[in-house]
Amino acid sequence: MVIKVQDLVKRYGDLLALDHLSLNVEEGEVLGLLGPNGSGKTTAINCMLSLLEYDKGSVEIFGKPMAPDAYDIKKDIGVVMQNVAVFDELTVLENIDYFCGLYVRDREKRKQLVKEAVSFVGLDDFQNFRPKKLSGGLLRRLNIACGIAHKPKLIFFDEPTVAVDPQSRNNILEGIQRLNREGATIVYTSHYMEEIEQICSRIVILDKGAVIADGTKEELKDMISLGETITVESTDIQPEYAEEMRRIPGVVSVENGNGRLVVKSEKNRNNLENVLEFLKKHSVAYGRIYTELPTLNDVFLELTGKELRD
Amino acid sequence: MFQHIYINRLKCILRDRTLVFWTLVFPIVLAVFFKMGFSNLITAESFHPFPVAVVNDSAYQKNESFRSTLKSVSEGKERLFILTETTKETAEKLLDDHKIFGYLTVGQKISVTVQNTGFEQSILRSFADSYMQTASAAGSILSSNPSAGKKLAESLKKQLEYTRETSGGSAPPDKTLNYFYSLIGMACLYGGVWGLKEVNDIQANLSERAARVNLAPVHKLKMFTTSMCASLTVHFSEILVFLLFLRYCLNIGFGTKTWLVILTSFVGSMVGLAFGAFVGAAVKTDSEGIKTAVLFGSSMLGSFLAGMMYQDMKYIISQNAPIIGYLNPVNLLTDSYYCLYYYSTYSRYALNMVLLCAFVLLFGTFTYFIIRRQKYASL
Repeated sequence: MVIKVQDLVKRYGDLLALDHLSLNVEEGEVLGLLGPNGSGKTTAINCMLSLLEYDKGSVEIFGKPMAPDAYDIKKDIGVVMQNVAVFDELTVLENIDYFCGLYVRDREKRKQLVKEAVSFVGLDDFQNFRPKKLSGGLLRRLNIACGIAHKPKLIFFDEPTVAVDPQSRNNILEGIQRLNREGATIVYTSHYMEEIEQICSRIVILDKGAVIADGTKEELKDMISLGETITVESTDIQPEYAEEMRRIPGVVSVENGNGRLVVKSEKNRNNLENVLEFLKKHSVAYGRIYTELPTLNDVFLELTGKELRD
Repeated sequence: MFQHIYINRLKCILRDRTLVFWTLVFPIVLAVFFKMGFSNLITAESFHPFPVAVVNDSAYQKNESFRSTLKSVSEGKERLFILTETTKETAEKLLDDHKIFGYLTVGQKISVTVQNTGFEQSILRSFADSYMQTASAAGSILSSNPSAGKKLAESLKKQLEYTRETSGGSAPPDKTLNYFYSLIGMACLYGGVWGLKEVNDIQANLSERAARVNLAPVHKLKMFTTSMCASLTVHFSEILVFLLFLRYCLNIGFGTKTWLVILTSFVGSMVGLAFGAFVGAAVKTDSEGIKTAVLFGSSMLGSFLAGMMYQDMKYIISQNAPIIGYLNPVNLLTDSYYCLYYYSTYSRYALNMVLLCAFVLLFGTFTYFIIRRQKYASL
C-alpha cells in the first residue's frame, strides 16, 4: 500500500474540514479525489503531505508514518500544486533544474532528468523563457514539470487543469496517464468529473470532508438507483405528454422544457423503445434523441441531494 | 546542495529588478540629490568679498591709520572688501546703480552710507564701528599715558586670540557627513527586503513556492540559512558599491580606518537582513506589499530619527531620549561611521557594534522561533 490514511480529522476553528477521513491508495493506481469546491480535497492532500497540522488520525506513506522531516519518504513524492509555484526570476529550464536539484544531487543525472521533464511537458521551445512570458497553459505545464522531474514514485496532482485551455488540459491528462504507465502512483483531485472519469482507476467522492463513496466509476454508478437518461429534442411536446410518460413502467422522472424532454429511468430498465413508441403514437416531430448512462454528477446528486458543481 | 541552493537564490535575487532598485539604485539617487543640495548650501554659506567705496577726500588722505586698516582688509585671499577710492558723487552713483553695497566717509567719525540692510551692509558697519572703538581706545590710552605709544602700536599690530580651536579627531569637520552616514544606515535596513523575500519563499503558509520547497527532502533551516547567505552576499555587495560610490564619486570622507568601515557595513547588512526576515515572519498578513511597507516605513522613521532629513534630530534624540538612539539601528550605524571618521578612540564605536550585533541576534532568534515550525494550522 502506498498511502494509508486513517480517521483523519482537521478543524479550522468551528469548521470541520476533514471528518474522520480514511482512505488507501494502492501501488500503480490513479486515485481520483472528487468533490465540489470546499469539500476538503486540498486539505486532505496537505495533511497527507504533512504541510498541515491535523487534530486526529494518522498518515502512512510507503508503509512509514509521514512527517515533515521524513526525508526518505519525501524524496519519492512529487507534488503539482493547485496554483503555479515557480520562481518568476528563473527561466523554465532553471526552475525545473532548481526543484529537481532539491531531490537529485548528481549533476549529470539531474541534467538528464530535467531534459526529459522539459520534453515530457512539451516545453522544448520555451526552455529559456521566464514564466511571465508563458501562457496560462504553458505555465501549468511548467508547474507539472517542476513537480515530476525527479521521477517520483507517488505524485499528487491538486486540480492541475483549473483555468487551462482544452488543448493544454488534454495534454496534461495524457501526461498523467503516461506517468502512471511508467510506474507512478497518482493521486488526482478535481471537481471536473469528466477528467476523473477519463483518467482515474478508482474514485473517492468527498463531501464536507468525509468520504461518501469509494470505488471504480462503474462501481460508483452501480451504487445508485438511476439508470439511463433519454433526451428528446423537440418543440412539439405538449405539457400533458410528460404526465402520460411518467406512467411508463420504470420511468423515475420526466422533465419538459427549453425544447427538451428528459426521461430518467430506473437502473437496468431500457425505456428507449417505449419512448419512441409514445412519440410515434402522438405523432410528435423531434430532431435528435439520445441516451446517456448515469454520470458521477448523478451519483453525487443521489448521494448528497446536490449537484457536484453547486 | 549548498551550492545548488545558493547559486539559484543568487539568480533569483539579482534578477529581481524592483528590489535591486530599492536596495541599490534608490540610495545612490538619494545620495546624488543630497550632494547637489548640500553643494548649494555650502556655496550659499561661503563668504565672498563684496564691493564698497570710500570717499577719497582730504580727511581720508589725512587719516593714515584708517587708510592702512581699510587697505589691509581689502587685500589678499581673505579680504573683506573690493575697495574703490572715489569721489562722494561717484560713490553715490555707484550705490544708486547697486554696484557697491555702501561707502565710507571719513570725518569726525567714520560714517557708513547704505541703501538697504543686509549681510554685507552689516559687515561694513561692523568694520567701521570696530575701527572707531579701537581708535577711541588708543586715543584714551595715549592721552593718559603718552609714553605707551610704541607699545600700543605694537600690540595693535598683533592679532591676539584668547581662545584656541581644537578638533575632536584627526579628520576635518564636515557638517554634511551625518546625512550620508544615515543614508548608508537606511540602505542597510532597506536591504531587509531580501530577508523578507527569503522568509516568504520558505514559509509554506506564505507562498505556493515555499510549500513546494517544504515538500523537498531538505531540512528547512538548512535551506533558509543557505538562502540567507545568498541574500547577505548580494546585500553586502550592494552596500560596498554604495560606499565606493559615496567615496569616489561624491567624495564623501570615511576617515582612514577602511577595514572597520567595511566591518561596520557588513554588520549593517546583517542587521538589515535580520530585521527584514523578522518583519516577514512576525507581521501576520499574507500581503507581501504590507510587509514591505512596514519594513520601508520603519527604516525611514529610523533614518529620520538618525538625522537623515534634519541633522539636529540626532542630537535632540541623544539629549532628550537617548534610549531611542540606542534602539535605532540606523542611528547606531550612522554613529559608528561618525566615530570611525572623527574619533581616535574606539569605546563609543565598540558599544554601537555590540548593540548592532545584539539586534542581529535578537531578530534572528525571533525569526528562528517563528519559522522553525514545519506544519501549519492553515495554508
